[in-house]
Amino acid sequence: MMEQDGVILKVVDVQKSFEGVHAVEHVSFSIKKGQIKALIGPNGAGKTTLLNAINGIMPPDSGHIFLLGQDLVGLRTDKIAFLGLSRTFQLVRMFSINNATVLDNVMLGAHMKLKPSLLESIFLRGKVEKEEKSAREKALELLKFVGLERAADTVPTALSFGNQRLVELARALMTEPRILLLDEPASGLNDAEVEDFTKLLLSIRDKGITILLVEHNMKLVMNIADDIVVLDFGKKLAEGSPQEICANPEVIEAYLGVTNKECDTII
Amino acid sequence: MEKLRKVWWLIPVVLIILYPVTIGGKSAYWSGILVFAGIYVILAVGLDLLMGFTGQISVGHAAFFAVGAYTSAVLTVKYGFSPLLAMFAGMFLSGTLAWVIGRPVLALKEYYLAMATLAFNEIIITLIVGFENITGGASGLRDIPPFGIFGLVLDNPLHYYYFVWAVVLMIIASSVLIIRSPFGRTLVAIHSDELAASTFGVDCAKYKTRVFVLANVFASIAGSLFAHYMGFIAPDDFGVSTSVNILVMLFLGGIGTIYGPILGAIFLKLLPEITYLVQDYELLLNGVILIIVLVFMPKGIYGIFMTLRNKAFARAGK
Amino acid sequence: MGDISHLVQFFFSGLTTGSIYALIAVSLVIVYKVSQLICFSQGEFFIFGALIMVTLTSKGIPMPLAFVLSILIAMAIGALIQQVLIRPIQGSSIGALIVMTIAISLALRGLAMLIWGRESHILRPFTQGSPLQIFGATLQLQVFWIVGITAVILLLIWLFFEKTSLGIAMRACAENPLGASLMGISVQKTALFAWAWGSGIGALAGIAVAPLMFMQYTSGVMPMVKGFIAMSIGGLSSIVGSVIAGLLLGIIESYTIGVISSKFSDTIVFALLMVVLIARPNGLFSKS
Repeated sequence: MMEQDGVILKVVDVQKSFEGVHAVEHVSFSIKKGQIKALIGPNGAGKTTLLNAINGIMPPDSGHIFLLGQDLVGLRTDKIAFLGLSRTFQLVRMFSINNATVLDNVMLGAHMKLKPSLLESIFLRGKVEKEEKSAREKALELLKFVGLERAADTVPTALSFGNQRLVELARALMTEPRILLLDEPASGLNDAEVEDFTKLLLSIRDKGITILLVEHNMKLVMNIADDIVVLDFGKKLAEGSPQEICANPEVIEAYLGVTNKECDTII
Repeated sequence: MEKLRKVWWLIPVVLIILYPVTIGGKSAYWSGILVFAGIYVILAVGLDLLMGFTGQISVGHAAFFAVGAYTSAVLTVKYGFSPLLAMFAGMFLSGTLAWVIGRPVLALKEYYLAMATLAFNEIIITLIVGFENITGGASGLRDIPPFGIFGLVLDNPLHYYYFVWAVVLMIIASSVLIIRSPFGRTLVAIHSDELAASTFGVDCAKYKTRVFVLANVFASIAGSLFAHYMGFIAPDDFGVSTSVNILVMLFLGGIGTIYGPILGAIFLKLLPEITYLVQDYELLLNGVILIIVLVFMPKGIYGIFMTLRNKAFARAGK
Repeated sequence: MGDISHLVQFFFSGLTTGSIYALIAVSLVIVYKVSQLICFSQGEFFIFGALIMVTLTSKGIPMPLAFVLSILIAMAIGALIQQVLIRPIQGSSIGALIVMTIAISLALRGLAMLIWGRESHILRPFTQGSPLQIFGATLQLQVFWIVGITAVILLLIWLFFEKTSLGIAMRACAENPLGASLMGISVQKTALFAWAWGSGIGALAGIAVAPLMFMQYTSGVMPMVKGFIAMSIGGLSSIVGSVIAGLLLGIIESYTIGVISSKFSDTIVFALLMVVLIARPNGLFSKS
């Protein structure tokens, strides 16, 4: 069920307030399949609120969010995951009870595929073990993809914040999503790490996965984004290509600043 | 060493099988104690799945212990059911009841959940006491026949010992299989972070309800075994103080490990025999043990054992 | 006329038990408001207060002095518990904290059994005198003490939290511990204070009702549970809500026992709790 123009995600007039404060106000934009779309703006602009609305954790007060024509608003978070949407979190959310390892975390991404059943765990052990084995192989592959295969058996809290984010990325990819929401994945990474990360994102895009990237790191954004949405005080300030955004005086004033090196590399 | 790791569980099993032929053969009393311990192992393991792995606190686990016990007792004493059939009836009733109240109750968090489970335990007890025509009320129900399967009556303590522990081992095995599977991983995810778990497609309510039903069906089985072992049951055996007792076993043994609560249950049920200070100090001891465990050894006996084991392996590795 | 006297009787006993429930609920709310902890051991302070009072008066200590001493001892125990057992595990999971307060209640109850045995004890009423007859119903004089003490305590608490700077500071502490500590309010001292006062009020409730019921080491359990119920219905952080809920609970329970059935009154009360928890987990009186 594809929309016209190859649009995969369409946010329409989304509104969310918290105790009278408009966190997100009348925001609309679309993302084309296979794009890398960036969502930028100052802190408190409503970016994470928007992601939370899309993935169902905190549904909007009004508006619609169409994923391949299906309205996500009102759907439970786990149902939205089944539609092919996955995400990472700004403040990393790892599973850590009972010494769960990095590998355990990534393997949880296979939940939708494995559909674990109580009775099968006891009586159809052969099937369960076979499925576990292939899930484990895939998880290790993904950890290798993000460069963390040696951390597979450690607990997530032993890793640096940046590496934990990479584990989150592997976990999100494990679900084989159509579209991936990333919440400030590069925060805390140094320049070399950002370069590696850029390559990762391009690899993901090459696999056909659409990306919605919330980021503060303008170098990353300008290098990689096909299209950018700018949010300020909950409202959409501008939308367009990196060149257009860099040339937009309102954006410059609200967020980018006059002397912005990253923009220079484009214009 | 690697091979030992895979089959270590045979050691306790062999011990359990051999026990009566060695020490226990002389004494029906000790067989009885171990039957008792086995029943509480079932209760502790079930609660560990619910609390230790899925993170759902319950201060009322004895509720379905009661449902199983009274269903077995009433059906066999008053309606002449066979014990096996009565036990299955208890399991069915418990499973259904747990499924019905599970969903709304498990939607609650922490204190609210604790209070709701406590309230439900009390409701069951008051209902048992209130419907005294059926249940014998506060004075209890007596003359419960010994367990029997298809005509084979297990009135010999030794035979019943083997039967009960066969059931216990099956339940432990099932629990371990569940934990070491994608289902178990999902439970841990729910315990850690429900919001994140649902982001990856986990229907948290569904899985929580399933564990709740399973844990309570286990409790029901324990109840049936208990009723036929004791021959006489009374509401006092199933109140909140029993539920709290099971909690103590969980924390003493090491919550969230399956093996820890097994140790905790056996230890606490053997303890009165070892110290001879049964009723008078039991309450105080329960409280003090729990306090000491929570402050000084939050990972319980099993945690200490694992730490020592890891240290030994580390040294052996050098 | 006989019916009216029964109804009035139920009202009096409901008012009595309701006041006790209200007091216990308030003591729970104070601890919760300030330290985000629900103290499962409150029932034990209830009986400790009563039983210490019984012991002191039996040794010849005059009632008013024994009254003050009992409460002070209970407060000291509460403060000690908070310092030695609660503070060290402050950062643990809520499950562990809940279990810790359960453990404390077990230990205290076991201690009570060792000290005072399994027998029931009774306390002399505060003032001697024959009970009043109103509309054919009997009203013990002690009930006036209970209701009176409850009213005074509640007024003092309300004044404290609304009007005194320390009380306002404690409320601030509960709502925003970081902000409060930045303003120089000691979170630790506040928690200690709250526990001491919470246990003091719990003990007070026990002492006030002791002349009307036989007290033994297990007598604290049900009042505590009913106090919880009142707190859940009234809202975990709401003093006013808990008071109203406590009184209502006592009265409803009394009429349920008298008019409907005494066998299933507890069933109904607990079922009510479950319904309230599921339908409005924040309590009937809170905003959400």
